[in-house]
Amino acid sequence: MRRLRAWFSRLGEVFGKHRREQELSTEMESHLQLHIDDNVRAGMSPAQAQREAMMKLGGLEQTKEQYRERRGLPLLETWLRDFRFASRVLRKNLGFTFVVVFTLALGIGANTAIFSVLESQLWRPLPFPDSERLVDAHVVLRKNPREGDVITNSMCLAWVGQSHAFSSLGAYNFPSSRNLTAGGLSERVPVMNLTSSLFKTLDVPLERGRIFLPEEETAARDHVAILSYALWQTRFASDANVIGRPVTIDGEQYFVVGIASPRLRFEYLPEPAIYVPLALATSAKVTRGIYLVGRLGPGVTVERSRAELDGILQRQLQAEGGKQEDIAAVSNLRVTWTKYSARGLYFFAGAILLVLLIACVNNAGLLLARGLSRQREFALRAALGAGRATLIRQSLAESLLLSLAGGAAGTLLGVWGAAAFPAFLSGEALPRHTENFFDWRVLLFVLGVSIFSALLMGIMPALFSSRVDVTDALRKGTSGLSASRNQHRTRSVLVAVEVALALVLLFGAGLFLSSFVREEQAPRGFDAPGALTFQILLRGKNYAQPEKQVRYFRILTDQLRSLPGVQDVTMGTSVPLQGSELTDSVNVAGQPPRDEHGTGVMVYAVGPNFFDVLHMRLLAGRALNPRDTETSPRVAIINRNAAHTLFGSENPLGKVLDYVAGDERRDIPAEAPVQIVGVTENTQEFGPNEVPFNVLYVPFSQQPDRGATIVVSSSLPRGALLGAIRDAAYSLDKDQPLYDIKTVDQLIDDSLRGSQFDLILVSCLAVVALALVSVGIFGTVAYFVQQRTQEFGIRFALGATAAQVLRQAIARTYVMGVAGLLCGLAITLALGRILGSTLYLVPQEHDGMLYGAKIYDPLSLSIACVVILLILFLASFIPARRAMRVDPMVALRYE
Amino acid sequence: MGDKASDKKDVWQGTLALMVLKTLQALGPLHGYGIARRIEQTSGDLLAVNYGTLYPALLKLEQEGYISSEWGVSDNNRKAKYYKLTRAGRKQLNKEEREWEQTTAILARFLTPGEERS
Repeated sequence: MRRLRAWFSRLGEVFGKHRREQELSTEMESHLQLHIDDNVRAGMSPAQAQREAMMKLGGLEQTKEQYRERRGLPLLETWLRDFRFASRVLRKNLGFTFVVVFTLALGIGANTAIFSVLESQLWRPLPFPDSERLVDAHVVLRKNPREGDVITNSMCLAWVGQSHAFSSLGAYNFPSSRNLTAGGLSERVPVMNLTSSLFKTLDVPLERGRIFLPEEETAARDHVAILSYALWQTRFASDANVIGRPVTIDGEQYFVVGIASPRLRFEYLPEPAIYVPLALATSAKVTRGIYLVGRLGPGVTVERSRAELDGILQRQLQAEGGKQEDIAAVSNLRVTWTKYSARGLYFFAGAILLVLLIACVNNAGLLLARGLSRQREFALRAALGAGRATLIRQSLAESLLLSLAGGAAGTLLGVWGAAAFPAFLSGEALPRHTENFFDWRVLLFVLGVSIFSALLMGIMPALFSSRVDVTDALRKGTSGLSASRNQHRTRSVLVAVEVALALVLLFGAGLFLSSFVREEQAPRGFDAPGALTFQILLRGKNYAQPEKQVRYFRILTDQLRSLPGVQDVTMGTSVPLQGSELTDSVNVAGQPPRDEHGTGVMVYAVGPNFFDVLHMRLLAGRALNPRDTETSPRVAIINRNAAHTLFGSENPLGKVLDYVAGDERRDIPAEAPVQIVGVTENTQEFGPNEVPFNVLYVPFSQQPDRGATIVVSSSLPRGALLGAIRDAAYSLDKDQPLYDIKTVDQLIDDSLRGSQFDLILVSCLAVVALALVSVGIFGTVAYFVQQRTQEFGIRFALGATAAQVLRQAIARTYVMGVAGLLCGLAITLALGRILGSTLYLVPQEHDGMLYGAKIYDPLSLSIACVVILLILFLASFIPARRAMRVDPMVALRYE
Repeated sequence: MGDKASDKKDVWQGTLALMVLKTLQALGPLHGYGIARRIEQTSGDLLAVNYGTLYPALLKLEQEGYISSEWGVSDNNRKAKYYKLTRAGRKQLNKEEREWEQTTAILARFLTPGEERS
């Protein structure tokens, strides 16, 4: 306490120095006078009295100096002085200052932006009370813990019923898109099933109303709903009386019992509009896509909870007599929810950090050169009594001032960049809705990065320039000062470091480029140039029966086909690149199941000419045709991947597939078995960067739906065609709007957007890196040539050829550049080996940032090397040419 | 004069603060020169206070809030800065006095050949 008080008091004394100095003088004077008075009274002569008093005081100036040291904070004052001096020096050299600050602003700005994105997306706790105690419980395969497995209802029940590690455990599923009718309006909204306990687990009580009662979590009485806050606000105008009223979901009545809190958010999922009960105990054995969230009990660790869950799981599996292939896994909820965006963001953060490193190395080179041209100044200061530490301190103050200025400018850039990020990145990469990207943590980060950069770029130049040979430096004229061999070597090493870092970035950009080109060229499995697609979702009671749905779409497609200029029309519940929401599990009839839960398939219910219009290749059997109707035998066509998964090398034609279960969530019974009549080539379901899905195509007439995508292939211009389509559709039923109107080319562009953004971002970083490296090389060579002008003159005078001189001027830079290139290659390959498995598309996992690219991608590597060599050549040749043009006479007279 | 001074003991670091506080308690508000003289006199001229070292010590005590200062006029009409004890200073003095007595008591036991050490 006392110390702190004294420190503050001293801090205050740093200011108002002049007045205090005067006070001290007065006090010393009065002390002397009092002493002299005393001495005179004791009988001394005035002169003797004064002399004695002065001696006793021990030297006026020393006393004052001792006093000053105690007063104020000498260290702080020195620093302030250093900063004032540094800012004067930097102001005098605006060009230099600008270049350094600008470079740093770029580096720090980009890092600030990515940091704020990382912080707000990955590190900030979820918006639930004490959210770091929340965990996600799931099961993974024992033989490959990276691969998750399906949680069965019995597992869920066993965990919920038997575990004690959690203060609460709740379950929810992936929202499904369902038709909501309320207040005369009908729309498709995400609906989530959840258990009441989830509200307690997440600790977000309802805004109004009540949670589900235990008896409502059974299939018999589960027609109750909780509205999301957003839906309540927009659709029901925040009307509190909505509780107790019915809403219709997929044609069935649900009674609203509560309104959820606005804080209830599942940030990585489609935001649910309505919550309905998850009836764990009574629905089918397997419910795909159940997630369990637990709140760890007091003092329970993640590992302990995992051990407990695993014990319960193994007992359960044993009791069920199943194979014990699964083990329990527990992970932090925030980490789980942000897992899918984390890798991409960390990767970009790494690339952006590289740019900052290059900027710092570059600035180190500039500072070093500047230190050389200021040798005389340093020597003079040393001669006047500045110690080495003082010189180093002053140099560092300069770099700190530079990097703080860079940091300030960078913060502005970062604010802009962070705001721009969400606009560029898809929702998948930035799943969390964060209002404020910026907070004090970001500012702290900027400060930290600025100091780090200052040290990185300043320490070596400071060490060099402080090591001055005073007599030598002062004796020579300014122009005669030359860099030592040592300093030249250091600058070349800096060039090598820059080249190495830039190569890593450039190679990265090359990988993204080659990945993008591959994605563009990857076989899509379908093609319909110029075709227009749109979606229709049948609303209203009129279309409740399947026959009505089939009839509507048949009439619509027939009418569209008869429009002038239209070549053909087809329809399906969705088309490739849209993916299908319909998923199911099948087993081959009459064979032991390949997987106890059945094989997951994606289902498209399509019109008869679907494969013709989309030019999908039939590999075996027949296509669907108009004779496949509601009443004819149920048939299906599978894609090549499904044929391989289900039948291996066997012939799938004629085989029958049993559905394991229908969609339990909607209590739809399992579909009747289907017979396989054909096999088609694989298509891209969402985009190129995916492992092929198992796909089942069934006739729309045999498995109809309210929603469908219509494909119209035509040579008409889009505007005219769309007008004609609208007229036809509205004349059929004016209450069914068309939406999501896109050409097939747009669908393709959309599927490539993510990779395109990655490519643009990495390319920008690589270009900045190259620009910095060019400046670095240019500066180094130019400086070298300038230093040796005289020497070159002599060489010319002695008969050296221009080529010889040129070679000498750029030899070292080349050697170091190539050395850097080799180091960069080594770093790249090492990084590729470490990151390879996470960055590249790995078979059997539906992720990977780069498509089909190889760590040793020879094209990317050689392009990167060639570009670096070209930059090395150009950036050194231009300044080196000056060496060839040296006029011997001028050079010699230079002195 | 130098030979005479060498006989005297310099004031130990740390004890000077205690002496200053004690002096101010005994005599009330006093200027720097007065404090120095008083310490020398009290020690029976056995201690030599380098007057120069006194001022940083006074500043430190003031920064810590144990004493406060204001300008005043001395008996013989000289302008001087007067120091006086604050409440915190009085408390600190009591505390340090007690500690010092304890320390000296302990040391005394070591230095006098006691019964239990024989």
